[in-house]
Amino acid sequence: MNLGAEPPSIDSVQATDNISFDVIINLMAGLTQYRSDLSCSPCCAESWDIEDSGKRYVFHLRKNIAWSDGKTLTAHDFEFAWKRLLDPKVGAPYAFFLYDIVGAHEYNTGKLKDANQLGIKVLDDYTLEVRLKKPAAYFIYLTAFSPTVPQRKDVVERYGALWTEPEHIVTNGPFLLKDWQHEYKIELVANPNYFEGKPHLDRIKMFMIPEQSTAFALYQNNELDYIDNRSFPTSDVESLKGSSEYRNFPLLRNYCIGFNIEKKPFDNFKVRRAISMAIDRSVFPRILRRNEKPSDSWIPPALAGYKKSSGQGFDPPKAQALLAEAGYPQGKGFPQVTVLFPAREDAKLVMEAIQDELKRNLNIHIELVSQEWKVYRQALLRDPPPMFRDSWGADYPDAETFMNIFMEGNGNNHTRWHSKRYDQIVQAAEAELDGKKRAALYAQADAFLCREETPIVPTFLASQNLLIKPWVTGISCNPLDIQFLKDVSLNSASTQTTTLDFKSSIARLMTHKQLATSSQTLRSVR
Amino acid sequence: MFGLIARRILWAIPVMFIVASATFLLVRIVPGGPFDEDKSLPPEVLQNIKAKYHLDRPVHEQYFFYMDRLAHGDLGISYKYVHRTVNDILANALPVSIELGFAGLLIAICVGIPLGCLAAVRRATTVDYLCMFLTTAGISVPGFVVGALLIFVFGIWLRILPVALWESPRHVLLPALTLAAGPTAYLARLTRASVLEVMEKDWVRTARSKGLSAQATIIKHVLRNSLMPVVTVLGPLTAILITGSFIVEYMYAIPGMGRFFITAVTNRDYDLIMGTTLVFALLLIIANTLVDLAYTVLDPKVRIEG
Repeated sequence: MNLGAEPPSIDSVQATDNISFDVIINLMAGLTQYRSDLSCSPCCAESWDIEDSGKRYVFHLRKNIAWSDGKTLTAHDFEFAWKRLLDPKVGAPYAFFLYDIVGAHEYNTGKLKDANQLGIKVLDDYTLEVRLKKPAAYFIYLTAFSPTVPQRKDVVERYGALWTEPEHIVTNGPFLLKDWQHEYKIELVANPNYFEGKPHLDRIKMFMIPEQSTAFALYQNNELDYIDNRSFPTSDVESLKGSSEYRNFPLLRNYCIGFNIEKKPFDNFKVRRAISMAIDRSVFPRILRRNEKPSDSWIPPALAGYKKSSGQGFDPPKAQALLAEAGYPQGKGFPQVTVLFPAREDAKLVMEAIQDELKRNLNIHIELVSQEWKVYRQALLRDPPPMFRDSWGADYPDAETFMNIFMEGNGNNHTRWHSKRYDQIVQAAEAELDGKKRAALYAQADAFLCREETPIVPTFLASQNLLIKPWVTGISCNPLDIQFLKDVSLNSASTQTTTLDFKSSIARLMTHKQLATSSQTLRSVR
Repeated sequence: MFGLIARRILWAIPVMFIVASATFLLVRIVPGGPFDEDKSLPPEVLQNIKAKYHLDRPVHEQYFFYMDRLAHGDLGISYKYVHRTVNDILANALPVSIELGFAGLLIAICVGIPLGCLAAVRRATTVDYLCMFLTTAGISVPGFVVGALLIFVFGIWLRILPVALWESPRHVLLPALTLAAGPTAYLARLTRASVLEVMEKDWVRTARSKGLSAQATIIKHVLRNSLMPVVTVLGPLTAILITGSFIVEYMYAIPGMGRFFITAVTNRDYDLIMGTTLVFALLLIIANTLVDLAYTVLDPKVRIEG
């Protein structure tokens, strides 16, 4: 398989990206794991109790789990990993995921010095207690998230920064790290002592091939058994759709247009709503051609809380009426608006389509400005332009990961919009343990966000495109876009021939011109 | 000769100091930082990370801290690849680029110089036109097109060579050819022009009139005197080839150093940018020194003082 790039870190407390998670999740086992329907099922914890109105979690660990060096996994290993994640000296980027735990924020910001005062406590070798500041129904999902897998204190302290190298690392997951040639290849082998049984695959080679056309050529030559978005150019998707090796499914990644509501004319909600109604979202899959799913709600359909009616829909006459009410009849007098987007080919196509839609349906002209990725990100953080392109990918399969962005104080909300009413709804959803009531609250927040206030205009959901050789079975198609490989197997009876059409190989390879925009290509794996 | 080497070493110190200082300043002027990612981190978390890497200190303190480490041979740590030092990253990647670079250089020298000689000797014939057509193509066709064609013909169509990766000596062939295409053409054109110029000299005519064969004249008199400009460009060319080509390494998935020239900048991986720049500068100094030494061997008129 192809990772697309070097994992920045396989130290679970330092990792923040899907490439690293793809490796970690196959090496380590957490308290829980995701089922195919994205619910949490037992993993190292065979059961758990939720007490004190959702503020106390008690995890009961299995007693038969061994680390790769033979030692037994205990609750102390989770306690160590979680406290290390929160240790300010470690500088873990994803420490904030545990801020719901008693004392976590204070400890991570240096206000609390004693880690023993954290709400993480080992009751006995196989029982872990976690106390939260407030009920957080999504908390259980965090226990299946890569940054919360266990770590061995003795190994981390003994080898320091080098503890993740193959000669030192100690793991408890389905595979063992056999070799890591940096910037080139990671090799995993089956863990014969994995508590759920030895995986089907004896060996996995994870290459780090940055260029999509190269990875695709290797797939054609049967040197890769399966590839995903990281490994074939957009232009190929259309021609591959007829292949029996092709799979497609939507991801939990939503793209949107954001407005800085402190800047004119987007301080007027009628303008924002008019723009949302003037965009025909069905255009995006036609121009991007990766089977994107048009979306006008912020919560993706795969998550509880999604409601089809949450968004604005496409309604040009109503959009024109709203724009006229805002003082711009037929677009007259509409100020010059600059729209910022990252300098990537796909973003450019989307923004040009939106520019065209707004000109046609509202008779307004927007100026497109692209910037290199980091410059663009800094512009969003420091001084967001009136209109910009943005996106969000789920960290865990719960609506909370999408909705808390727009709560007051969240650094990922570049719109400058916040609302007490919205915050109250989301806070109520966070505390609600009844699934149906939670979903209804999130749906209410989503409608408030996308239909009433409209600081953002959701546009489409990204999708994952896979090519899987006929002899490979068990590849999981999960919208979180993390590769769980323990159930994958090879069917030796299948012939090793490919059914793909080779006609366009040369044209595909010529797309190496994309190398000129390499930084974006590298980043597109996210 | 030893004086020259000693002088060059002494000169290298201020040159490296200036390169390091200028790069340090430039990377910090560029907007965007190493931790500006897809998802913004809470300020308190960002503060912890910056403190860990000393990026919360004033720039002048960061500068002195970096120079102190550099003076001890420590090129710093990567912000992108957590826990990995720049020394470690370059120690892994540079040997791969050197291997590939020397293979490309060997092809460029072994093919480019004879091709240039042949074109000059057969001036205004079909052979010359063919050579010039090939060299013009080699210079003007970008590396990614050459690479794509080679992959298609030898990797996908004929299936006699690997499409990519870095597993065995067979895997070196296509990337080395791709890497060598431009330099080969350049050396061929340079050699042709130089040989033609030398062939017009009086002493060449004298050698021929004394009855020396054309072959012997070319090899013994013309070629040696024609190589001066070729050797001059070989210095920087060697430094460029052995520090890796982004396009070739990216295209063939080779774990060399070339990709870091681009990715370190796009990631704002400050210390890695510094490391790649300094290594390149050092290799350039070494290669140019070797070129100067080569002058003395090729041309007895050249004498280096010291």
